[in-house]
Amino acid sequence: MPSHPAVLALAALLLLPVGATAADSGLVVSDAHVRLMPPGTPNSLAFMSISNRSGSDRRLLQAASPMARTVELHTHIDDHGVMRMRQIAAIDIPAGGRAELRSGGQHVMLIGLRQPLREGEHVPLTLRFDDGSTQQLEVPVRRPQPALAAEPPAAPGKH
Amino acid sequence: MRTRGFLIALIALLAAALLYLAVFWEPVPQRPVEKIVPHGQLPPAIAPTGGDFVLQGPQGPVALADYRGKVVLIYFGYTWCPDVCPTSLSLLAQALADLEAAERERVQAIFISVDPERDTPARLKEYAPFFHPALIGLSGSREQIAAVATAYGSSYQKQPAHAEGNYAVDHSSATYVVDQRGRLAGSLPHASSPAQIVAFVRQQLSAGDAR
Repeated sequence: MPSHPAVLALAALLLLPVGATAADSGLVVSDAHVRLMPPGTPNSLAFMSISNRSGSDRRLLQAASPMARTVELHTHIDDHGVMRMRQIAAIDIPAGGRAELRSGGQHVMLIGLRQPLREGEHVPLTLRFDDGSTQQLEVPVRRPQPALAAEPPAAPGKH
Repeated sequence: MRTRGFLIALIALLAAALLYLAVFWEPVPQRPVEKIVPHGQLPPAIAPTGGDFVLQGPQGPVALADYRGKVVLIYFGYTWCPDVCPTSLSLLAQALADLEAAERERVQAIFISVDPERDTPARLKEYAPFFHPALIGLSGSREQIAAVATAYGSSYQKQPAHAEGNYAVDHSSATYVVDQRGRLAGSLPHASSPAQIVAFVRQQLSAGDAR
């Protein structure tokens, strides 16, 4: 092994850390699934739970998939009975806590599906976090389950 | 020696490329986040009265009056709706499935599109049965839809187009219940459970039987 300065400099350069990997980010994704939509619907959503086992708050900044032309992070705002869906810049995952991406709440929106999704197939999805780490997932497509309301709403209004 | 120089240059080039990718590569550019329009800008809800209407169904005009003697469940939404409508319609479909067959014959579920530009009768015919074979989708002119939505107390508002020229339509997410005489009996709020929908339907059926 020649101790040529250029070689040493190169070796040092190649050993520089280039962003954290999923393995040491402390972020664990579970129960990820993409909603099966009715035929002819060009969009869908991905739901999941992201646990943060690290000691610092993390943020999901971006999601990408080759199956959709655009992928955005969205949330819902319940505005007097009008559920408004809006794009958000990031999804917070508190240290030692978790972020729930659920129907009626925060989710990953797949806009402009390149082909119709079939039940049971897997959609590649890449998540990018604020610590520079990324996670590559293969997310199964599932038919929407009637998720029960988190808290029972008031009795039906009478007119 | 020349080979070694060439190799060193190659390694340097690759290392530089790797670093560049690691530090600067953004797969998708970040886009600004939309501002929220306050609810005050939605059309004001007038006290809903319900009432008869005629809209376009999968096989031509459908009148609410066609369903006299049935309890009618009406949900306003649109087929490009990514989460709220599929969730609500899944809950509604589960409620229909939970009814006894004899009860189900006396119930009709209707999905009225608040996005008639994209939701043609043909599109609704493709969409509605995904949730339940008995669910029918209705469309109409913008004016017709606005009149029916106002009568039932449903509000909606088309949003500015975003990615892909795609636009959302914000809409209220209640399910309206019409009794067997065609009168608006009440509404079930967003995310009502199948059990709550079934209970209200049964209440209406027994009230109808008692009349």
